[in-house]
Amino acid sequence: MSAIAEERPRAPSRPATSEAAHVHQRIVKRRRQEQGTRLEWAVVHMLYLIIVLFFFAPFLWLLSAAFDGDAVAYIRWPAHPTFANFVYIFRHFHIGRALANSLFISTATMLLSVVLVSLAAYSLSRLAFGLKSGVTYGVLVLQTMPLSATMIPVYGLARDLHLRNTYLGLILVHSAIEMPFLIWLMKGFFDTIPRYLEEAAWLDGRSKLRAWWEVVLPVARPGLIVIAGFAFLNAWSEVLMVIILVDDPGKSTIPLAFYQTFRSNGGYNEVNYGLVAAVGVIYVLPVITLFFSLRKMMVRGLMSTSRGL
Amino acid sequence: MAEIQFEHVVKQFTRQATPAVDDLSFTVNDGELLILLGPSGCGKTTALRMIAGLEEPDAGDIRIDGQSVVGVEPKERDIALVFQQYALYPHLSARDNLLYPLKVQKISKQERQQRIDQTAELLKIGHLLDRKPGQLSGGEQQRVALGRAIVRQPRVFLMDEPLSNLDAKLRTHMRTEIKTLQQQLGATMAFVTHDQAEAMTMADRIAVMNSGRLQQLATPDEMYRFPANLFVAEFLGSPPMNTLPVHRQNGHLAVPGGWSVPAPAHSPMPESLVLGIRPEAIEVVPSGTPGASPASVIVSEPLGSEVIVNVTLGETMVRVRTAPDIRPRPGELIHLRPHPDGIRLFDKETGAYVGA
Amino acid sequence: MAITTPGRGRIAWRRNRSLIGGLLPAASLLSLFFVAPAIWAIYTSFTNRALVGLDARHPRHVGWANYERLLHSPAFKTVLTNSLVFVIGSAVIGQFLLGLALALLLDHGDHRGYRATPFVYGSVLLAWVNPTIIAGFLWVAMFDFYYGSLNKTLGFVGLDGVSWLGKAPMLSLIIVNTWRGAAFVMIIFQGALRTIPSQIYEAARMDGASAWQRFWDHTLPNLRQVAAVVLLSVTISTFGAFLLILTLTNGGPGTRTEVIALYAYHAAFQSRQIGYGSAIAAVMLGLNLIFAAIYLRVSRPRI
Repeated sequence: MSAIAEERPRAPSRPATSEAAHVHQRIVKRRRQEQGTRLEWAVVHMLYLIIVLFFFAPFLWLLSAAFDGDAVAYIRWPAHPTFANFVYIFRHFHIGRALANSLFISTATMLLSVVLVSLAAYSLSRLAFGLKSGVTYGVLVLQTMPLSATMIPVYGLARDLHLRNTYLGLILVHSAIEMPFLIWLMKGFFDTIPRYLEEAAWLDGRSKLRAWWEVVLPVARPGLIVIAGFAFLNAWSEVLMVIILVDDPGKSTIPLAFYQTFRSNGGYNEVNYGLVAAVGVIYVLPVITLFFSLRKMMVRGLMSTSRGL
Repeated sequence: MAEIQFEHVVKQFTRQATPAVDDLSFTVNDGELLILLGPSGCGKTTALRMIAGLEEPDAGDIRIDGQSVVGVEPKERDIALVFQQYALYPHLSARDNLLYPLKVQKISKQERQQRIDQTAELLKIGHLLDRKPGQLSGGEQQRVALGRAIVRQPRVFLMDEPLSNLDAKLRTHMRTEIKTLQQQLGATMAFVTHDQAEAMTMADRIAVMNSGRLQQLATPDEMYRFPANLFVAEFLGSPPMNTLPVHRQNGHLAVPGGWSVPAPAHSPMPESLVLGIRPEAIEVVPSGTPGASPASVIVSEPLGSEVIVNVTLGETMVRVRTAPDIRPRPGELIHLRPHPDGIRLFDKETGAYVGA
Repeated sequence: MAITTPGRGRIAWRRNRSLIGGLLPAASLLSLFFVAPAIWAIYTSFTNRALVGLDARHPRHVGWANYERLLHSPAFKTVLTNSLVFVIGSAVIGQFLLGLALALLLDHGDHRGYRATPFVYGSVLLAWVNPTIIAGFLWVAMFDFYYGSLNKTLGFVGLDGVSWLGKAPMLSLIIVNTWRGAAFVMIIFQGALRTIPSQIYEAARMDGASAWQRFWDHTLPNLRQVAAVVLLSVTISTFGAFLLILTLTNGGPGTRTEVIALYAYHAAFQSRQIGYGSAIAAVMLGLNLIFAAIYLRVSRPRI
């Protein structure tokens, strides 16, 4: 039953109100320092405004022109708001058919890509060391090849192989373009999936293929969704190869239709911005919606490629 | 060196329901090593960061050497902080890490060199100076982090769980090193940890915190023998203090399971009590010894120099520390007697210490 | 079945075999699309093949003639200069610096909790995510001399309009390409900024560093590695830029913005001399290979 030694701080006489007020003042000042002064807020937000204007303004124009019967080249509220442009292009530029083609090709490309990429990326991820580095470097080198250089020989080859103006040719080409990047991305993803999952399945007697299908892929699903998203987006947007490979209007795609409309209506001759903008909106809409819904996953995927360095 | 005073400090983070630090008042004496001890989230790190100036209190005052430092930038406070993950600058060599604070404070080249040499000598890191943090082991990084603090010759040293990321052997070694260092330099040091053994071995005094409030401030010895409440009693000591329910029986306090101790004389006594007794204050005695009660053994844990026996007394599990040759088997019945000097009573509702 | 680490023993070799099988489908497609065309281009560059005319039916082997023609052609020198100017202006200065600035600004805004930050981020991304020819189209309108938004705004404040695509085509192209590509750089730098632990900054603050010093001494040096890789990356992709220039200027006026990709395109499809065009394409691929090798050396990707 001894006394407990508990020390009290050597309290000075009660702090005068003015002193407590001083302390409080300094806390407020410090807090403002932490959170930034009002001047800083103003400057940053002004910069924000300039940036948003710079990056976003052209799209505002796209919208204003597409819905305007008398579209002009500068941004303004439509003088003659209407859907007429859209009606026109569906009727006269066969946008409906191009839309169908684009959807078909993009979807087929997406499916083909997911299968090929996941198979290849998994194999690459689990490959033995010596071979692995060689193939990986190969993939990375392919990724850097400019389409503008390969387009000429692709044209030649496609002509010789009679793959021009065919769905098969288009799907193959669209899949191939983005494949190196997607393989690299997916491989990184598979690298993070521990091997013991498939090893456990092998111990249970599954074949490699079944193990991959049943065990690994479900875990890899988020990555596969990103791959599918990228594949679809790129196939949808691809125009260079389509210009090279297609001159049959029946096989036209949205990007090609846009390019042709632009060349004959908005480029250097007659200026009908409204029509071109309308095709543009159809071109751009799926891209924007798909990207912004999958954005977090995709950006994270992209950031992870930089972390691998 | 200087003394640190906390006066009724309150800090609440915006997204939390309860304050991180609630009416905290204590003093760190000049030249003392005070350890802030407590479980995760108790507010000890927040308190430390407020001394450093990385956080500011919402109310109350913090003084160093008598002067309030609230609202003062960290660099004006003349304080050094060693982070839990060392926070060494990864792109600079160890030497440049040590140089950095000196360069920023524009200390003369001569003086810089002198301080670095001294510090390197003190911490035995001279041979590591040209390496980058990535090339150093955990223990080496920690010493460089210490060096970066020492080189500044601050009036106060702050340490935020610096030993938590080291392996057990290195940790015990560094405890002694840091303590020796502190005494050599005569430094005022506030050290945060959740490891009670660390606190017991290193501190001049310990401040135990829980949920933002100070539970007790005392020397390790004082705190171990006379904990101010149940929380402190159960936090210190390994294995921790045993707690048993008691009820009154004609002037005695009876523990279900057998023991009976005289109730303390002074009043008022709270209604319901808890009895605390440390494992080493329970004796294993032969059957029939007065004051002893039988207990059924659950398991014995031989530790080489002693044995911890886990038993069931009444309905409570109790742990007893005995000599290494006593190794009862599970299911056996042994007889235990509490040593009267080791009994502590706590109020069941508030946890506060009420007597012995 | 034993669990072995890959690369050792017969079981591992058998496993490798099925893995190689997994690579085959993708590999064959990629060979069809990348390797075969490269070979085709090299082969054709040694002929005088054309798309129409006599040389289309019976192309002749002409050895190094195409390459010699290329080396001695004054147009090619212009083209190389243009490509260089475009890459430096748009990639090195434009995309890289703007992307870095944006990453820093948005990171700062993020720390301060400014709620507008995600919107700004979104608008930068918008420019990047959209197809190239859309970007071209939008800016053709922006740059229009009489009715474009830029000149209209200038007129608003009393300044004369600029003939963007006429008098300053290269500058205009650089602006648009920067507009498009800054987002990529921004994303990469943002990722890098996030990996710098905040404790480093706190340690620096304790050591006495001011906000500016913390930025200069701790933020920038830790970005250096990533910066090199990103710079190379945008250089490589800008080098092959084609569609944007095609839609905005088509190499003109004259040949003032004719970059190497356009030169190849015009040779192959406008002049119909696909042999010569293939030679240019082969040169592009060769240069690209060199860039890729440097890139791999600098980036040290995780295998």
